[in-house]
Amino acid sequence: MTATTIAPRRRGALTKRVFGKKAVLPWLFLAPGLLLALVFKFLPMGKGIWLSFFDVRPFLGDQWVGLDNYTRVLTDHRFQDAVGHTLLLGIGQSLGAIVVGFFLALLLEGQARSLKIMRTAVFLPVVTATAVVGELWRLMYYPTSDGLVNSALGFLGLGPTPFLDNPDTALWATMVMGIWMVAPYNMVIILAGLAGVDRTLYEAAAMDGVSLWQRLRHVTLPAIRPAIGIVLTLAAIRGLRVFTEVYVLTGGGPAGSTEVWMTRAYTLGFTRNDIGGASAASVVLLAVTLLLTVTVNHFRKRGDVR
Amino acid sequence: MGVRRRSHRLAAMITVAGLAFGAAGCGSGSDSAGGDDPNTLEVWTRSNPDPAATYERVFAAFTEKTGIKIDYQPVINFDQQLQSRASTRDLPDVMINDTALMGSYQSQGLLETIDPAAIEGHDQITDKTWSSTVGIDGEHYGIPYSRQAQTLMIRKDWLRKLGLQAPTTWAEMIGVAKAFADRDPDGDGKKDTYGMVVPGSAQNGYAAWWGASFLWSGGAKIIEPDGKGYRPAMDSAAAVRTVTWMKDNLFCGDNGVIQPGAITAVTGTATNFQDGDAGMYLTGPYNIATYDATPGKDTFDVVPFPAGPAGSTVLADGENIYFGARTGKTRQEQALAAFLISPEGQKLAMTGDNQPVVRIPVNSTLDAAQVRDDPRWSVVQKAYEDASEQFPNAPDFAPIKQDTADALNAVFTYCGSDVGSSLKELNDTLAGDLKDQDLLK
Repeated sequence: MTATTIAPRRRGALTKRVFGKKAVLPWLFLAPGLLLALVFKFLPMGKGIWLSFFDVRPFLGDQWVGLDNYTRVLTDHRFQDAVGHTLLLGIGQSLGAIVVGFFLALLLEGQARSLKIMRTAVFLPVVTATAVVGELWRLMYYPTSDGLVNSALGFLGLGPTPFLDNPDTALWATMVMGIWMVAPYNMVIILAGLAGVDRTLYEAAAMDGVSLWQRLRHVTLPAIRPAIGIVLTLAAIRGLRVFTEVYVLTGGGPAGSTEVWMTRAYTLGFTRNDIGGASAASVVLLAVTLLLTVTVNHFRKRGDVR
Repeated sequence: MGVRRRSHRLAAMITVAGLAFGAAGCGSGSDSAGGDDPNTLEVWTRSNPDPAATYERVFAAFTEKTGIKIDYQPVINFDQQLQSRASTRDLPDVMINDTALMGSYQSQGLLETIDPAAIEGHDQITDKTWSSTVGIDGEHYGIPYSRQAQTLMIRKDWLRKLGLQAPTTWAEMIGVAKAFADRDPDGDGKKDTYGMVVPGSAQNGYAAWWGASFLWSGGAKIIEPDGKGYRPAMDSAAAVRTVTWMKDNLFCGDNGVIQPGAITAVTGTATNFQDGDAGMYLTGPYNIATYDATPGKDTFDVVPFPAGPAGSTVLADGENIYFGARTGKTRQEQALAAFLISPEGQKLAMTGDNQPVVRIPVNSTLDAAQVRDDPRWSVVQKAYEDASEQFPNAPDFAPIKQDTADALNAVFTYCGSDVGSSLKELNDTLAGDLKDQDLLK
């Protein structure tokens, strides 16, 4: 409500800042980044959008096909399956990674030196290359007692399970790996959020004798809402464009049961040499990601205002 | 040279980065270093560092002989990088890559036509081999460089230990595979060995690549020439019978006939023969050098693929020399091609400490086993000459191979599936692929 009274003054300040001498400096600092983004991100992106309307044949001349690539891609049942898998994988992985990241953050919050070491150890999956992680997990999932997971199951008296080779479990196995990989990242953001929680609230709550659950529900969660918002936005984007994990772990198989949006687009573009179709698939992904990000942001802002 | 190569790799990387960030777009400014110098040829091969060392040696000999410099790029993600470079309309001058990709490249207009008579030494390549580089329009689009056929690598020490013979029929092969799995051929008292290695993933079409020898030896075809075009043939009785046999005996039969995880394995991850826990592997002869190191030269033998109901016809494959479209260095390119197919060039590429890049020579004056002084290569040469078939190189085979691999992988994954209806569905898909290329008559 106070915003309306502030607005005019702020706008005045803004014009002064943009046209003032001081304004040049920040832009100068920003220029290299902007230039890089323009050349390596936005130009290729624009070209991708442009190509999605063509039958791409660089040496024979591209042929304008209008929305043909889009209808072809969107009506392909293989692609529809892939979109379904992407949504399932993205949502499952995001929620799983947030929950696990939250609990990791609760466990590892504090100042002790040993906690720092633990946090570093837990954070390692994030800095490891996804391809390496995938290769590692492929070995862990190895469908005999030689595989780490199956050898652990062996101790419990359960037979070896072909996690990746069974179309019913392959997607879930991929999801678990994704959660393992992303949760520590979320942990760090949530830890930062937790650091900002007013300690006196905990003390007051302890004095009032509330349960652990109530403390989480009414003190911790509201305090770290901004952190959760950021984590959600990132998760939404990452979830949709999942590629390397799947490509390394299963290559989309068996029987297409782990095929996702990006692996399908990759196959279209680089195995079948259908660059136009792959571009259309990527543009649809871009649009959906944009939509999702805006939606999440909208709800986050509304939540903040409330 | 080093700087030039680095700038190239950077350009390629930038292009790939562009593709990764934007929707499949174009990397800007991947400008060909040395592109203006008529005396430098940019040559690409799809090679790992080890075979690349062999190429380096061959090209060094060429430069010494002719003074034409080679800017050599071994490219591992060949297809991906080539598409990126194609999108900037700047191709390498010469490419050496799989024969089966010729149709695909030609349909995109990436290749220059070739007049065999203009290549010195063209008469030392047989007409049959030359015929494999004829495109859909009757023109030549490649120069044969190396040929190969699949053979069965088999652990002879295991056979000896179990008192078995190398299999000559599919039934015997399954018998040997079961014995390898059950009768502890490595003698460690544990059931930790497998009969056969299978790269069964649909990724990059592997299931079709590996399965082709089975299909052909079972009397089936993927597509068949039909008048001026092609027609899909995966709904034939022979195809149904063969795929059913593969499903029942290899994938859904007794545990241990094939290695665990076969259904998601690609050749890079199907390392069980090398690891010493699987006894047979139907694969190309480029692996002989690798397996001589591990499991060891004395431990395995190279034998023909056991015969199926329709005999033993294996997948033949190989590499061609392609000239990138619109480079204007025809004379230098032809000189390089002439050197590469000459007895001298072929011999250099077949020998040395690194992986050979010419497997079966295309030059008919040479004999693979003789050049290498290794009788195992005569098994491969015989398989190539007598009983092999190639993926057709005239149509764009890439989508056909991919769709076949997808369908086979699905059949092998779902053991309860109905093979007949799955293959019928595949046949319809293949018909669609052919129709996209205006080849369905």
